[in-house]
Amino acid sequence: MSTLLFSLRESVRYRGRSGHWTWLAHRVSGLAILSFLVIHVWDTANAFFYPQIYGWSIALFKHPVFAVGEIGVMAAVLYHAFNGVRITLLDFKPEWWVYQQKSALIVWVIFFIIFIPIGIYMFTGIIEHCRILVDGGSTCWAIPPVGDYLQ
Amino acid sequence: MTTVTGTTVRRVTRRPVRIPGNFERYAYLFMRLSGVALLILAVGHMLIQHVLNVTANLTLQFVAQQWQSWGWKAYDMLLLAFALSHGINGLRQILEEYIHNRNVVRAINVFLAIFLVATIAWAGYAIAAFDPAEAIRAAEGFAQ
Repeated sequence: MSTLLFSLRESVRYRGRSGHWTWLAHRVSGLAILSFLVIHVWDTANAFFYPQIYGWSIALFKHPVFAVGEIGVMAAVLYHAFNGVRITLLDFKPEWWVYQQKSALIVWVIFFIIFIPIGIYMFTGIIEHCRILVDGGSTCWAIPPVGDYLQ
Repeated sequence: MTTVTGTTVRRVTRRPVRIPGNFERYAYLFMRLSGVALLILAVGHMLIQHVLNVTANLTLQFVAQQWQSWGWKAYDMLLLAFALSHGINGLRQILEEYIHNRNVVRAINVFLAIFLVATIAWAGYAIAAFDPAEAIRAAEGFAQ
């Protein structure tokens, strides 16, 4: 266990510059996507197996905490996808290995250019959804009661 | 000629090596190929379902409407199979870097393989057998 903690700590402490941060971001975004994906897949299967539970869970996923998490998943998918293309290209093209640093930077630039407008758009959607709920006399922080959906 | 931190790279030396055709080689290739497929499937899914259609408007009726078409069912099944196997294999590679006890690694791999097959079977069956008319009837039973 102590060796695992040591490995994890050194994964962050190691100063490998852009290659290190790119490796770490690819790994963390991949794990984040997988943990979301597993929940998402088992939840969506409920649309067939237990429609009532599905009805409740999609109501729950409209909660601001999950909605902000959704923006995080979007960021993770976009970064992981663009960096994955870079890794694949470099794997098949050893001639391009001299551009490791440059390509890592290009991936970050493309990621921010595409993610920032999408992230802002998604965030304004959350604010708008909350405003509609508040105008209707409700609150966007309320957790939907399971009992409303199980009949 | 490209200059990288003071070193001048003139040419790349190519040295042919024999690559064993074992599981790891195919797992490596699978990560690249499924990655390219997911560039379309997963990024497309995120943009279509989480930006063009927002979660705030998601209802069971919306799901029923989409899964009326076998095109959407096929898209989601492909996404399910590729995304989950890509992700589980990635997790396996990460865990094998940190866990050095071979018996523990083997046990984890067996668990991950069963989990992968069970999840794809469970969710794949749900998508295939999903009946839009029945789902819309079920949705009328609760407020959305």
